[in-house]
Formats: sequence, C-alpha cells, structure tokens
Amino acid sequence: MNTIESVAQTLKSKFGDAVKGTETPDANRLMVDVDGAKLTEVSREIMSLGARYMVSIGYDNIDRDSTLRLIHTYAFDKGKFAVILRTGAPVDNPVLGSITPDTPSAGWSEREYMDLLGFKFEGHPKPKKLITADDWPDGIYPLRKEVPYNLVPPAAEDVAYQLDEAPAGTTTIPIGPFHSSLHEPCHWALYVDGETIKGCDYRGFMTHRGIEKLCQTQLSYNEIPFVAERICGICGSVHACAYSQAVEMAVGMKIPRRAEFIRTIMLEIERLHSHLLWLGVAGHLIGFDTVFMQAWRVREQIMWFCEKLTGNRKTYGMIIIGGVRRDITPELRSEMEKILSNVEGETMTIQKSIIGDTAIHRRTKNVGCITKEETIKWSLVGPVARARGVDIDVRRDHPYAAYDEVKFDVPVVDSCDVWGTVLVRVLEIYESIKIIRQCLEKMPQGEILLEAPEALPAMKHAVTMVEAPRGESTHYVITGEENRPERWRVRAPTYPNLQGVPAMLLNNQFADFPIILGSIDPCFSCTDRVAVVDVKSGSRNMVGKRELEELSRKYKK
Amino acid sequence: MDIAYSLINVMVFILCAPLFDGIMRKITARVQSRQGPPVVQPYYDLLKLLGKNTVNSADNWSFKLAPLAAFASIIAVVFVIPFAFRQNFAGRYADIITVVYLLTLGGVSVLLGALASKNTFAMIGASREMVTMIMVEPVLAMTLILGAVKYKSLALQSAMYSVTGFGYSVSIVAMMAVYLLALQAFVGKQPFDISEAEIEILEGPFIEYSGPNYALFKYYMMMKQMFYAFLFVAVFLPFAETGYYAADMAIQLAEMLLVFVVIALIGSTNPRLRIDQAVKYYAVLIIISICAVGLSVRGF
Amino acid sequence: MWLTSKIKQVLMVLKPGVVTLNYPFVPRPAPEDFRGAPYWDHTKCVGCGGCANHCPARTIMVRDICQEIRVMMYDGSRCTYCGRCADVCPEDAITMTKNYELATGDKNDITETMELFMLTCQRCGRCYEMETGNAVDRMDLKGYRYDNLEARTVIRKTSDQFDLKLLQETAQFKRPEKI
Repeated sequence: MNTIESVAQTLKSKFGDAVKGTETPDANRLMVDVDGAKLTEVSREIMSLGARYMVSIGYDNIDRDSTLRLIHTYAFDKGKFAVILRTGAPVDNPVLGSITPDTPSAGWSEREYMDLLGFKFEGHPKPKKLITADDWPDGIYPLRKEVPYNLVPPAAEDVAYQLDEAPAGTTTIPIGPFHSSLHEPCHWALYVDGETIKGCDYRGFMTHRGIEKLCQTQLSYNEIPFVAERICGICGSVHACAYSQAVEMAVGMKIPRRAEFIRTIMLEIERLHSHLLWLGVAGHLIGFDTVFMQAWRVREQIMWFCEKLTGNRKTYGMIIIGGVRRDITPELRSEMEKILSNVEGETMTIQKSIIGDTAIHRRTKNVGCITKEETIKWSLVGPVARARGVDIDVRRDHPYAAYDEVKFDVPVVDSCDVWGTVLVRVLEIYESIKIIRQCLEKMPQGEILLEAPEALPAMKHAVTMVEAPRGESTHYVITGEENRPERWRVRAPTYPNLQGVPAMLLNNQFADFPIILGSIDPCFSCTDRVAVVDVKSGSRNMVGKRELEELSRKYKK
Repeated sequence: MDIAYSLINVMVFILCAPLFDGIMRKITARVQSRQGPPVVQPYYDLLKLLGKNTVNSADNWSFKLAPLAAFASIIAVVFVIPFAFRQNFAGRYADIITVVYLLTLGGVSVLLGALASKNTFAMIGASREMVTMIMVEPVLAMTLILGAVKYKSLALQSAMYSVTGFGYSVSIVAMMAVYLLALQAFVGKQPFDISEAEIEILEGPFIEYSGPNYALFKYYMMMKQMFYAFLFVAVFLPFAETGYYAADMAIQLAEMLLVFVVIALIGSTNPRLRIDQAVKYYAVLIIISICAVGLSVRGF
Repeated sequence: MWLTSKIKQVLMVLKPGVVTLNYPFVPRPAPEDFRGAPYWDHTKCVGCGGCANHCPARTIMVRDICQEIRVMMYDGSRCTYCGRCADVCPEDAITMTKNYELATGDKNDITETMELFMLTCQRCGRCYEMETGNAVDRMDLKGYRYDNLEARTVIRKTSDQFDLKLLQETAQFKRPEKI
C-alpha cells in the first residue's frame, strides 16, 4: 500500500530534478512541485500508483513571477491521503502537457482553464469552449487579476456553440436549455437512432456567474461560507463546511470538538433529506408520482426541524470559519431523536413497497450501465460509483469533522445500473440516521465557535474533501491578503459524474434519458458555480406576439 | 324521440367527462397524501384555456383542423352509442365498424396535429402514439366483434349488450380480463401514458398546442376516457337494467365511476413503461383477445 | 411481488393521511429563532455600519450625505436572510423577525431606510471598530462611506474626512451594462 513517504520517494527517484520539492503541511497531504515539462509523466506515474484524480486548479500568479500556475490533485483512498501536484507555465507561453488522454476526467478542468486563464494544453482531445458564454470575446480571461469582476464585454449576435458531429444515420434531439427533466438550464444534444441513443454532446455552464472570481476579489473570509452555501440548494452545508475546513487546514486552526460534531450532524441531515428528495425525483422521472409525493412527505419533517434548529428550511447558515453559529439544545436534541425514528420507520415503509416492485425494476434495472473499470477511469464519485462496486467514501477514507469517532457502513452494490444507485441511496439513509444518533450521544460539551487568529497567513494551500449526498466535493483554498482567499476552487460531485454520463447513455433508450441523468442526481448550478451576482446583463428587446410566433417557427426547423 | 337519446348522450358526456377526470385527480392526490385540486378543477382548466388567444404556431391549416377533428370524432362516437341501454336514432345507421373508425379518426387527428406542428418532441410523441394505436385498436375491435359474433350481427345495440342475451361465457370473461389490462392504454394513463410522457417529451403530440385548441384536445381525451369506461360497463357489466331511463343512466354512471377509481389507483401506483416494453405487453393482449374471439366462434 | 407492492403503495397513505396544508388561507407561523426579514431598531442603532460590512449579499448600504447625517439603507430584494447582520451588531439593534411572506411587486415594500444623526469624533471622524479584534471578523469601517442609494450599490468608497467631491462622484454611479 502507498504511503505519503513511498509516493514522495517514488516520484523523487523516478524524476530526479524534475521534482523540485515536496512538503507535507498536514499529515495527510503531500505537495509536490514539478517542472511543467514533466507534468504528464509525473501525473501518469501517480495515476499508475492507484490514485484517483480529483480536480485541477489554475490561478494567476503573474504579479509574483509572471507565471500561470496549475495544480492537479489526486486522492489515495486506500492510503488515506491526497497528493497535490503543482506546476506552472510562463504567461507569455502558457503551454502545458494535457493529462486528459491518460485521465479522461481531467478534460473539463483543463478546458476550464483554457477559457478562464488562457492556458493551452498540448494533446487535449476536445479543446472546445466549456465555461465562458458563446459570445465571450477571445483574449479576455476572466480569472486573471487584470480582469475586473464586474466586466461586461459587448454581446455578439449569431455566435453559437458548435455541437459535435452527429454519427451517421442518427437524428438529433435537443434537450434543454429548458426541459422538464432538467431542473436547471443546460443543453444536451442526443443523437438517436429510432429511440436508441447513439451519442451525445453537452453544453452546460449556462448559469456560470463567476462565484469564485467574486469571492476572490470582493468578499472577505467569513462572508464566503454564506455564498458557498448558495452554490447548491441541496448540499449547501457541504460547500460551506468544505470551504471552512480548507481555510482552517491552510492556516492550521483547530476548531472546538463540539462544533465538529454539530457540523457532522448538519452534513448528515443534509444527506438524509437529499436522498429522500432524490428518491422522490427518481420516482417522478420514471413517471411514478406516488413515490415522489411520499418520499417528500417523509422529507418534510426534516425540513421543519431544520427550520427550528437553524432558522431556515435550507441554506442553514450554520457553518463559518472556526466553528458553527448555533448550538443544539437539549430540547432540540430530544425532538431530533423523535424525528429520526419517524423518518426511519417511514423510509422503511416506502422501501418495502418499492423494493419488490417489478414495474420499477423494469425501468431501472440494466439501465445506464457502465462497468466498474469505466467508473474508475472516469473518476466517478459518490452513490454513482458505489452502485458500480467502487468502494469509496470520503467520510471513511479521509475522515473530517467527527467522522473518525462514529461507526457506520458504506453500502456498496455491484449491479452497475440505475437500480443500484436507488439501493445505495436508500441504504445510506439508515446509515445517516445511525451517524446522527451516535453524534448526539457522543457530543462533548463546550464552545462552538473559535475566534480566528489576528491575521491569517497568506499563500497557504489546502485541499479538503467532503462527502456530499451526491459524492465527493473538493475545495481548494489558497489563502491571500486583504482578508480574502487568493484562490478558491470548488469542485462539486456532479463535475466528474456528469463527464461520465455520455458513457452511461450509450445504447440506452431515449425514454431512459431522464432517469439515467437523474441517477447521478445532477446539480448543474454546483457544477456551474452559480451565485446571484449583481450584474445587470443584456438589453431587453420587446418582441410582439406576431414576431414571437414567426421566430418560433423559424427556429423550429 | 330517438334523437333525444342521442342528444342526451352528448350532453351527459360533455358535462360528466371533466367531472370524472376531477375525481381521478382527487383520488390520485389522496394516494399521494395530498389534498388535491377541487373536483371541478378540470372545468376551470377548460374554461381558462378556452378563454385564451389562439396561437397557430405551425402556421398551417391542418394544425388548426386537428383538434376540431378529434373533438368532432369523439362527439360522433358518443352520438351513436346506446348509452343507458337505449338504442337511438343514429345508432340504427351505425354499427361497430363505424365506432371503431370514428375512434381511430380521433387518434389520427392527434397524429395529424402532432405532425403538423413540426416539433421534434411532437414527432417522437406521434410515433409513439401511432405504435400505441396500432397495438391497442385490435383489442377494442375484438371486444366489439365478440358480441357481434354471438349475435351474428354488427348492430351496435346487440354487439355491446351481448351479455344480456347470452350471459357470461368463457370468452367474455377472458375478454374482460384483457380489457381491464388494456384499460390504462385506452385512456392514456400510467403505465401507458407513453406518448405524452411529460418528463421525456413534454406532452409529446400536444407540445405546440395552447389555448382553445389545446382545450379541445383535453376535452377529447377526457371524453375518450369516459367512452372507454362506458364500453367496459356496457359490454361486461350490463346488469341491473331497470327499464327506467334515468335509473339506468344513474346505474351506468355509478359503474363508470368505479372504473375510474380503478384507473386512478393503477395510474398512481405505476411508473411509466418504455415503448419497447409496452409493445411486448400489447402483443400478449392482442393474442389473448384473438383467442377469446376464436372461442366465441366455437360457441364458448 | 408486483401485486403486493401495489397494495403496499396504496396502503402507505393510510397512516399519514392528507398532509398538505391549506396554507395561504390558514397561516403557518414560523418557529422561534426563524430567520425572516431583518428589522432595524433605529433607537438602538449607533450607525457603526458593521452590518453593512458583513453582509455577504451586500444589501446594506451606508451613505454619509454630510458630516452629521448617515443614511443606512437595507434592500430586501437581494437579502439572503443569513442573519449575519444580527450576529455582528454590537448593540443588538437588528433582530430577525418571523416575517417570511415578503413577495412584492414594489421593491420599496421591503426596503428600510434610516437617517442617523452622527457625532463627529475629534480624532478620526468615525472610528468604530468591532469588539472582535481578529482580522477575519473585524469590520474595518472607518471614516466616511459613500454607497449609491439610487442604484442600491455598495461602492466601498471611503474617506477619513468628509469628502464632498466623493459624495458627488458616487451619486453619478452607473452599473456596468452590456454595450
């Protein structure tokens, strides 16, 4: 098995001078600085040691040493540590080797920095636009510091994203930007032969509003958790928690133990209601609205409890740097225990009524199949991976908050289809209930918020992973001056999972598209990193009824 | 006097169809722990849709014609049927072939509207609708033919109420089972609402329709549902004939209500099937229904 | 298997019954500690502007229209009801009410404006610092500040002494627009 030392040793001995240095700021993090020229080889070596690629982070370092920096992060789930591979390229020639041919899930990350920082990656198989709008002018790289956060470049007419060439003999079905099986705007072009899907192309990031840029230029450290929470409507606490942990890890803060337990409880409450929500949505997607309503009925009591505990149904605003904002009182605790046993019983009722339903099996079994090998290749995470026999769970593999003190099982199913994800999620509901009960029992008394030190040191790196209901969320923070991070990168679980969807869709029926896409529990706004940014955009043209009718006819063809 | 029966048929169907739909929605809501909309909500929906502007988004006449044709065809069906055991004026000139044709005309009108609207989703919906029609129509035809075989006549009254004359036979019971299994497909509810499939193809054939045009289609769907419920009641449960017109009608409406309860319960406890799965299912139904007709020819 | 599942699915409803509420007709009160619309108590407010500096959504504007008068404006249309302003207020002048029925067609219904009479500190004009002394939480709102109330934008122009020129400049502020 790999350890931090062995990985560092291997890299140093294999690549000699190309590895400029290693450091271990934390017991579970290995930072490796490499020469840009050797990046692909080093990355390949790390992957061959059994790592799982997480995310890449690019940032503008021009005013320090006129380079653009790039960081690849990898997780060793068996060895319980993460490797951070740092490199850079001069700004006048920002060319680096692409790791996408070896690690397909890095495709989006690299495309992202082509758009946002102006990187060029040699050997990238699909160097198309990913994030910026179709009419975003060339040569303006929004993540560079010279570009102001509220820049509104002139709009252009008649520019459209060029979809991939459709395979011969197929027709294209446009799904989106608005479609009832997508809960948020994004565009899929499905290439179907009859009703069988033969391929697809994805154009997303339609709600990209530059939340990272905003937080790096406008907000201060303790405002960001509230914005982070609004990255996602479902797993808000996950993002707030991951961000706060990243800052705490970067500057070496140790928060009170009680706060860690409350964070754990919040994360598990979120998992509980998110899985129930998903179960309902999955029912809705296959046209089974009774499951939808019943699952949401069970979920509702959790929402009402959260309203009492945190002051709101969602976007709890509980987690800030240094701890949490509200305590769990004894009354709330006893109420929570009651609700947990209710939810447990009622989930059991739903489970019993759907687990043997052959009508549901028909729509979910052998649908959206991909093999375990492909799952690992695409670095899929969360229930999607666990339904394909990949035994990963950040809570167990890279424990954070109070997860090291609670006992729980990680349900793994190897049916490799949508039914597997249903099973995994239902089983995880019971595990969550178990975890919350243990937390309530073991929670020590004491402070819940630690005052932050006078000034946070700048240019410290940290990466943290948090298991969101949908899978692993990775946050990377580089601390900065002016009371705000220099760079904050969010990678939601949908980011890798969405990249694996084309493989799941291949050769399935068109009617199964909603449930296959739904099975990863896609959260496009997480992926796009949406935020309500105060930018007034676009002039509004008034279109009359007559014109509208004609327009709609014109575009239908 | 006979013509009055026809007119009353049309009146009753037009007035009651939305009510039955409302009752189904209420039952579905109860299964889902909801209060649900008021029973009269479908009337509100129709009134609201009828009050809106007509948008001819396809800009051709067939798009406008389709809803009218669909609605007219179902009215024609209702006009001829022997509702409440009463043969009517028009029924003398129509037979079971007329009814099957008129019902098919309704389906074809939906296809026409879908194809005229030139929308990708409408096209998918149309192709699914077509498959459903081809696979389900035989079951309907067999149901009517069964009675015709018994009476050796294509007349509506005798074919529909064959049980009153010959009682329950093996073939009738088999056909009843088939009819029940095909019921959801006849009325386009889960698990066979495949051609509308809101989540996949956004109401399929009707995606481009709005306002009064859509209201007509909606009305057509509701009346079609009511017709199929009536057909079940007439063919398989034609007992309790009192001889009084009002009483007969009340009894048949009550029986139809029961059929709607069954439809609502099945509809709310099933996911939607895929078209390929549904086709296999229909194929089995067709085979059994042909067997049932075969049995009746042999006198069973 | 199929039939038993169907029966279970229909019976599932029996225990809970109908759960949806007749909500707008029968009001549903919010629990204690609910984070509804914030309310400013002008008798307690000292005009320190800590809330304005900590608001993640930048909904609280501060504009010093002359040396003595500070106008504070809360624009509820952008508020996320996180309750951070109530947390940081040193005078407890801000409370989160239980009011959550805030949908409106007129922004002014959910806008609160206060004009505060401020004394001038002989040394620095305005010199509030928040109790918590660390960099992460300090409010750093010293001197005079000129946000634009018409555009409802936090401009973050500050000056140590009252600056008439800045006041006029910021009045002209326009948000960036697409060309």
